[in-house]
Amino acid sequence: MSDTPTTPIEFRRYTQNLSPAIPIAIQQATGQFFEKRNARVAELPEWELLRDVGHRLRLHTLEHLDAYLEQAATSLSAAGVQVHWAMNGAEANAVVLDIARQHNVKTIAKVKSMATEEIALNTALQAAGFQITETDLGEFIIQLAGLGPSHIVVPAVHLKKEEIAQLFKEKLGVEAPPDPEQLTAIARARLREVFLAADMGISGANFLVAETGTLVMVTNEGNGRMCTTLPDLHVAVVAIDKVVPDWESLATLLKLLARSATGQKLSTYTNFITGPRKTKGEHGPRELHVVLLDNGRSRMLASPLTRETLKCIRCGSCLNVCPVYKQVGGYAYGWFISGPIGAVLTPQLLGTKIAAELPYASTLCGACAEVCPVKVPLLDLLRHLRRRVAEGDATTTPIVSPVLRGVARGSAIALGTPWLYRLGARLMPLLQVPVRRGNWIPSLPAPLNRWTMVRPFMPFRARFRRWWKHHKKNE
Amino acid sequence: MTQNRFPNPVLDAVRHSLGYESGAPLPPHPLLPSARAAGTPQAEIALLLQEIDKVSGHTQQLTTHNLDTALGALVETENIRTATVWNTPTLQCLDIAGRLKHLGVTLVPPDAEKHTLAQCDLGVTEADFAIPDSGTLGLLSGPEKPRAVSLLPAVHLALLTPAALRPDLHQVFAEAQHHGYLILITGPSRTADIELTLTLGVHGPRELYVWIFESPGE
Amino acid sequence: MHVQLFITCLGENFFPEMLESMTTLLERLGITPCFPSEQTCCGQPQYNSGFEAEARSMARRWMRTFSHSDAPIISPSGSCVEMVRHYPHLFPEGSEEHTLAIELAARTFEFTEFLVRQLGVTDVGAHFPHRVTYHASCHLLRGLGLRDEAKRLLAAVRDLEFITLTEEETCCGFGGIFSVLYPEVSGAMLENKVRHIIASGAEYVVVGEAGCLMNIAGGLHKAGSAIHPIHLIEVLAAQGGA
Repeated sequence: MSDTPTTPIEFRRYTQNLSPAIPIAIQQATGQFFEKRNARVAELPEWELLRDVGHRLRLHTLEHLDAYLEQAATSLSAAGVQVHWAMNGAEANAVVLDIARQHNVKTIAKVKSMATEEIALNTALQAAGFQITETDLGEFIIQLAGLGPSHIVVPAVHLKKEEIAQLFKEKLGVEAPPDPEQLTAIARARLREVFLAADMGISGANFLVAETGTLVMVTNEGNGRMCTTLPDLHVAVVAIDKVVPDWESLATLLKLLARSATGQKLSTYTNFITGPRKTKGEHGPRELHVVLLDNGRSRMLASPLTRETLKCIRCGSCLNVCPVYKQVGGYAYGWFISGPIGAVLTPQLLGTKIAAELPYASTLCGACAEVCPVKVPLLDLLRHLRRRVAEGDATTTPIVSPVLRGVARGSAIALGTPWLYRLGARLMPLLQVPVRRGNWIPSLPAPLNRWTMVRPFMPFRARFRRWWKHHKKNE
Repeated sequence: MTQNRFPNPVLDAVRHSLGYESGAPLPPHPLLPSARAAGTPQAEIALLLQEIDKVSGHTQQLTTHNLDTALGALVETENIRTATVWNTPTLQCLDIAGRLKHLGVTLVPPDAEKHTLAQCDLGVTEADFAIPDSGTLGLLSGPEKPRAVSLLPAVHLALLTPAALRPDLHQVFAEAQHHGYLILITGPSRTADIELTLTLGVHGPRELYVWIFESPGE
Repeated sequence: MHVQLFITCLGENFFPEMLESMTTLLERLGITPCFPSEQTCCGQPQYNSGFEAEARSMARRWMRTFSHSDAPIISPSGSCVEMVRHYPHLFPEGSEEHTLAIELAARTFEFTEFLVRQLGVTDVGAHFPHRVTYHASCHLLRGLGLRDEAKRLLAAVRDLEFITLTEEETCCGFGGIFSVLYPEVSGAMLENKVRHIIASGAEYVVVGEAGCLMNIAGGLHKAGSAIHPIHLIEVLAAQGGA
């Protein structure tokens, strides 16, 4: 479980001394996902059309989110679901705790849910003395390790099988060979006991259908079904941006999600749950609660640009293609969500004071925006948030250091005033003489050594204006 | 939709941000792509079986004449000692429960308590829907179709007839949305959480068998 | 046909030969370039760093410089052209500056874009008898959507042997301010790029963007590689040997 950061996230400090094992593991994993995703996308000549539909559908829903939320709540209630509203994580956790206490819950089985990571639900439940077990294999592993997820889809991707075997030995007391199949079998056996014993299942939802009040869960392992079918009590924490208008929209969104996330046509188990069970014999919970979570999203709806952040369907494609994420892994982003979407969501949910470094943790290469199945305008958002950090806006004061602000002003003057600029172009070749070594400037004093610590700098050699004068004369 | 039946700060905050008046009419949502057109029934069946194979399911086309042989082979291959079967008309008509008993398998009622069901080696269901181009089965639930039958046992056998075929998700959703539960199953359970190595059979069934009957029972 | 040369601050200060090549190549194609001497920098560093007010003042100066003539504006840098295409966002809709920005952006082109899409030319009569690999700069590729223009131009260069670079489209790690904010990550990304370039077995690595070129050239030098980094325009202007 990732705790909510309360001090500034330090991307630079985290990435200064990274073990080379991290990019190796991440690149292998993301490479595989991306290859599969590309194969599935190539099969669909209408992929760009689907992306466009996905974008318009999600945007339409967000633009009318009040109406769709009301419709969802009405449908949920009509289906026998108890609906709760939570402005923030504390309220959501309090609701879940309350439900657990009221039902005298002893064992909780949990399905992977980004929303519950966001609000650190597990921490709150454990602090109150509840036993809660993550049941997705990847989440089960990182729970044992006391870590948060490092990738949206495969949370334990950065761990090697040897490390996992060691972890099982230490925390589960079993001799585990470093073999994925056998490690999975151990987890299966352990978790089966949890599924059968659990009196409460907690999940999130990939989508919530407004028209019918249906929770949609996209999974592969079967634990999602276990946690939402076997216990008598099921609680789903659903962020308000998960709402979709109707089942018809799901046909497009599920195709986009499965192919983008794991390169599958459809995930192994896609669950559609409308209300608690109608009869005892058919299995399913007797009681179903849905907690609708805001946690800063309503604020993001206010501007047309930031609103588009909420279109995200959490597929992880942007992570799989981001050269920065692939170099540093998920933990560098300081919270439960990482990669390009993390770089734009975290500053909006937690504020720029905490997440000022994140919008800059990108080369603006654009690979993410190219693959996003719902066309989240990631580059525009990154630049918008950089403006927030550098200049401040309606929501916040600038964070950037006076030094950087001075450099920006100074450079605008030096580069923006023709005579100063031309003078600089002529002066720099002289000023660089002490540091020039042949065709290179191998090192510069701080803070300019931030360039030369990686590679040498090129010498200034402006001469076009002189050449042009000659050239025109000789015509 | 126009009354605020759920007075709460979340909805207020959403409305405030969007700047809409509560109760403004909802414009129609964007046009969606049309569903895939169906091929011939034989082509659809062939595609379905091919796609299920791709996701590591085991497929067979059967008639009532070779059903016993197939069940016998399944019982032996997967070492089935206990089984549970849905009480649907088709499965009753085919007398799956009876045939399994005949093979020495102990039958457990499908709505049994979860710990009992968890001891079953085999769960037999019918598929209400089958989507060929992704090899997907759709199962509704009900008192005669309990959910855990396709979940707890290690082996899941799903029978279906061509009547279950639907060209695309759109048609399945149009029908299924009025029911309280739908599970779309594409292959046996799997994970790639450990070093991205694909492992089949995590929490859900480890084996998925899909048998198609041209004409279920005369 | 007349064009205005937009030489860019990086081009002017670090790649003078490339600018000279660009000029003479355009003339060989029958184009008359002119050079508005008041030009400085397009404001991209400020804009991408979040200093929009500063970027706006630079945009104003740029627009003043290039609006004296009606001629199209040609630049050797895709990222600078992309910046100019963002100029309309800097001014309120309906304002005079907004209108001017739209008009100018519509006639500002990156060099390969101008050749292939505007002039319909892919063979510029170049001769470059070497083994060459190509790094596809992010702004050219994704920013401006120029997927194959550079390659079509390279394909027409006589005796040039083209070797596809592994992960050709992956960012080299420059990213403007990124390179100095997160040097360790930038360095690691550069190392990956350099590794692939060395593994290609090419004699030259061709790059269409000055920022990438500075980054990659530095990386190759640090790695002790004999592979020559060269700007795309210099290859296109080459008339046999380099």
